[in-house]
Amino acid sequence: MSERIVISPTSRQEGHAELVMEVDDEGIVTKGRYFSITPVRGLEKIVTGKAPETAPVIVQRICGVCPIPHTLASVEAMDDSLGIEIPKAGRLLRELTLAAHDINSHAIHHFLIAADFVPENLMAAAINSVSEIRKTAQYAVDMVAGEGIHPSDVRIGGMADNISELARKRLYARFKQLKPKLDEHVDLIIGLVADKGLPKGLGVHGQPTLASHHLYGDRTKFDLDRFTEIMPESWYDDAEIAKKACSTIPLYDGVNVEVGPRARASVFHGFKDTGVVAQHVARALEMKSALSRAIAILDELDTSAPARADFDVTGTNKLGIGAIEGPRGLDVHMAQVANGKTQFYSALVPTTWNIPTMGPATEGFHHEYGPHVIRAYDPCLSCATHVLVVDDEDNSVIKNEMVRL
Amino acid sequence: MVLGTYKEIVSARSTDKQIQKVSQDGGIVTGLLAFALEEKIIEGAVVAGPGEDFWKPEPMVAMSADEIIAAAGTKYTFSPNVMMLKKAVRQYGIEKLGTVAIPCQTMGIRKMQSYPFGVRFLADKIKLLVGIYCMENFPFASLQTFISEKMGVDPKLVEKMDIGKGKFWVYTQDDVLSIPLKETHGYEQSGCNVCLDYVAELGDVSTGSVGSPDGWSTVITRTDDGNSIFQQAVEAGAFETKDMANVKPGLDLLEKLSAQKKDKNQKTIDKRKEMGLPVPF
Repeated sequence: MSERIVISPTSRQEGHAELVMEVDDEGIVTKGRYFSITPVRGLEKIVTGKAPETAPVIVQRICGVCPIPHTLASVEAMDDSLGIEIPKAGRLLRELTLAAHDINSHAIHHFLIAADFVPENLMAAAINSVSEIRKTAQYAVDMVAGEGIHPSDVRIGGMADNISELARKRLYARFKQLKPKLDEHVDLIIGLVADKGLPKGLGVHGQPTLASHHLYGDRTKFDLDRFTEIMPESWYDDAEIAKKACSTIPLYDGVNVEVGPRARASVFHGFKDTGVVAQHVARALEMKSALSRAIAILDELDTSAPARADFDVTGTNKLGIGAIEGPRGLDVHMAQVANGKTQFYSALVPTTWNIPTMGPATEGFHHEYGPHVIRAYDPCLSCATHVLVVDDEDNSVIKNEMVRL
Repeated sequence: MVLGTYKEIVSARSTDKQIQKVSQDGGIVTGLLAFALEEKIIEGAVVAGPGEDFWKPEPMVAMSADEIIAAAGTKYTFSPNVMMLKKAVRQYGIEKLGTVAIPCQTMGIRKMQSYPFGVRFLADKIKLLVGIYCMENFPFASLQTFISEKMGVDPKLVEKMDIGKGKFWVYTQDDVLSIPLKETHGYEQSGCNVCLDYVAELGDVSTGSVGSPDGWSTVITRTDDGNSIFQQAVEAGAFETKDMANVKPGLDLLEKLSAQKKDKNQKTIDKRKEMGLPVPF
């Protein structure tokens, strides 16, 4: 006899999604389906027909959790469409922004999974550690990109401004100070994940990994010819779920893939482990790589060099691609500019790649481990409005729904 | 109070010969920001630096006393210093910031510190806000009109501008020219007509020439920090001071002009309200 377990929305992740698991008599998942239930918001349509400079400002609002990768992918797509070669300092500052953001974002994920792995006596220490790391990382994003959340100074052609020598030295010192703290944090997280004793093989799947670069992103490693996109109707073998699912299914070489820190580690560092534990380990270790890269950039950066190229916004309608390795995986934005206006815009965001892989990854284990598998991907679906109606008398929840506009 | 809240009012001038040479009056703004920078009270300051057009200032982040001195002297058209504050604490990496502002900018900065929308982590980094007295401010095109049309001088030849004794003055290498202030009326920014602040009442320190003899400025210290920085500068010998009671024309003139601005502009505000038009406060 099979039973259906539905978790909706899945918790301690960014945004709203649903996990539907069919389980056997033992409670073992025989079929897992994960899908986004966040309504389409149409940001790509909003930027079409407008000046190219509008796109990075609007599409970064896709998300408040990883606005940096969206901004970077957007400007990279525009740079590509407009044929702009950005100056070296601009490239370094963009990399620095992303490296700092990676550290911040992974730290947030550690906060989200703390309830899964951190024992009560270490909780305060773990959360303080997350906060301290985020403070330094966001300080860097603020300084380099203008704002920690929706950066104003990542621009088409490079960055609005280079940073001053004072800022460079200050950031260098802060990151150097952060290093022992971060190393300790990474050891703590890896240790706690190991201590949890999750069943061996949890979250292991047979799908390939996709990554374009070990940290930043490389549009030449994303081959558009190998990419296809299908509608949920032809992916989910359940009519009701297919109808409810809000995101398309992206495939690479005709199959669904895994993106994110483990994918990057496996493609670029020969990281062999797979599954939930491997994902947490790869994510934690990536914080160290990002910090080393940030320190190296600050060492190398010439603060007197120009950070932005001059460019002409007319455009030739070339399909520009921006491929950025966001904290949760490959973020691809595509843009075409002609007559000084954006003609076409499309964003293929990290978690969309993972969605078709995450459901099946829950299979073969007890459904109680389902949320562990989902959270190991640090999924980020765009946020929706959630409404709770609470009874004033006894605080009971009368209504709990996601608003669909 | 017609001069706002304050701790002390003195007449002062910079003792630095280099500053005296380039400053408008007593060199208070230049001297105080340079002193604060050298004493590491601030790490940089947003000042009105030279722009592409002659006499059209551009805000700049000065991180050395030399850069501050290079921006000395009053410009009678707007320098949007407020917009540079964020960049100063971001890309410039400054954590202790100074700036100079006219009264309306001073109000804007204080409001921004209270409601930091879009300017996170900026409020607590402003350590020294020097306000300057201001009756009105002219758009760049108005200045061009005074200089090239009314006085018939090429703006490029102008070395200094000044307002005093009821006249708008222009100094060139060879000449000193002036037009009565009456002729400048109607050319000011329209917002100036609803402004009630003459003496930058929200500055840490406010200063301007009015009330003091030529080459000196009247300094009003207002906040604990502003007062302490100015006192330190005086003790370090950066400024010499005189008691206001012993200088001409004295505090009465400053009070009179401040009261005049408030009275005149309050009438404009009342009139606008009567007509159902918005007023900024």
